[in-house]
Amino acid sequence: MKKLTLSVASCATLALSLTMANTVHAESTVDYTKMSSKEAADYMLFMTNSFKLDLPVQEGGTARDRLVQDEIQKICTEFRGKRPDAETAAKVSKMARESIKYPAGGIKLGDWKIGRELAWSGFGYRVGHKNDDHSKAKNGPGGNCYNCHQLATDRTGGNLGPSLTGYGKLRGNSEAIQKYTYEVIYNPHSLFACTNMPRIGANELLTQEQIGHIMAYLLDPESPVNK
Amino acid sequence: MRAKTCVLLLSALTLGSVQASSEFADMAPEEILERLIEDSSSAYLGQSPQNRQMMPDNPAYWVAEEGEELFSTPRGPNNVSLEGCDFGKGPGVLEGAYVELPRYFEDTGKVMDLETRLVHCMTTLQGFDKKDPAVKKRHGSGSDMMKLQTYIAMQSNGMEWNPPMDHPMEKAMRDAGEEMFYRRSGPMDFSCQTCHGTTGQRIRASVLPNVNEPHEWTKAISWPAERAGHQNVRSTQHRLRGCLWQMRHPGIVAGSDASIALISFWTDAARGQPAILPDLKR
Repeated sequence: MKKLTLSVASCATLALSLTMANTVHAESTVDYTKMSSKEAADYMLFMTNSFKLDLPVQEGGTARDRLVQDEIQKICTEFRGKRPDAETAAKVSKMARESIKYPAGGIKLGDWKIGRELAWSGFGYRVGHKNDDHSKAKNGPGGNCYNCHQLATDRTGGNLGPSLTGYGKLRGNSEAIQKYTYEVIYNPHSLFACTNMPRIGANELLTQEQIGHIMAYLLDPESPVNK
Repeated sequence: MRAKTCVLLLSALTLGSVQASSEFADMAPEEILERLIEDSSSAYLGQSPQNRQMMPDNPAYWVAEEGEELFSTPRGPNNVSLEGCDFGKGPGVLEGAYVELPRYFEDTGKVMDLETRLVHCMTTLQGFDKKDPAVKKRHGSGSDMMKLQTYIAMQSNGMEWNPPMDHPMEKAMRDAGEEMFYRRSGPMDFSCQTCHGTTGQRIRASVLPNVNEPHEWTKAISWPAERAGHQNVRSTQHRLRGCLWQMRHPGIVAGSDASIALISFWTDAARGQPAILPDLKR
């Protein structure tokens, strides 16, 4: 009786894997010319094994989650980098504001020396042929700040974002400036709807503590950014 | 006699219009780049005089030399060469074939880029198994794949990017690729446009090409190219993989529908500009 059950089970498994093998090649039976370009793109992204969607990612879950768009991503995609209209901008900024979580003890500046390393580091969250192992990074994943911004003048920064050289020197260190700086870093859409800048806090790229270190790098008068 | 002259004249004119910009086709890659820099003053194109100086000695030429030999050598279980492979302009026709890829192929019913077409010919004509290292190994100057791709692509140096858009599938793939190009997702909300939508944008010290500027975009997509920092010749699919990795998007499968869609879009974006093959990049 046991033998029979086993062979039925293996038969079923074989049938299932054959069916799955057919669905793996589903793209050859799909007609992209009958879909809108958006439908075709979505189909290719999720249904054709074009991406390694089942690989685990550093934040938990799988790579598939990274292709699913949230509300802000869906809205901002439509503008293709151009500034959204005032109504959409207001809507996006409001959503962004509502996402901001302030530190429990209030906003505090951390250590600019750690902030300097975090700002320079481009390490973290990469997946695919190589996966960033966060346990190997002394300060955790980096902020990628220098990729887009010029900060201190001893290192070369990009220009996708505005220069932040002399950031604290120009603005001072008031509570209002600290709050503003925290909000821009945490969720830049709160002030710049559909910005190209990542949502460092809202998307949990950096912890509140790490953001505090980067804020120190920006605002501490002793930081190279302000020398 | 008159009819014969007429036919000759007609065929001469037709051949002439196949590559409208034959002035570039006679130039070395660095000369093409030099001319584009002169005409545009593009910060992207002109960012590395050092790389331009190295181009006449591009290691990619040696890789291509090995590729030329591989191409005409009978190989695989079927012991045939790749001379019977149709890259879109007829079996074994390599001149101008690369700048007309990706394109729709009747025999497979799919839009294919050079890499997928090579895999197809190596497995069907030559009889290699998909898992055979000759087919499976896609990266590195030492791979058959890069030797063949570099050689084949070189035969389109200086010719205008001209991927066909007549077949509905070609348009469908290209348009889907455009959607993907602008689609924001992932933990950093990046799309390709984030980096490649504006002229003169720089990540750290590297100036990025703007997809909306064909004279910049032609260099951007001129692969295979020697990556000086990698000391290897890299392919189009390798570049795509690298972008998605830095964008924090999931890893893409080479030759997949999504990869072909993106490559279709980005080749169309360089339409009309001369290809620089092989190129040399940082």
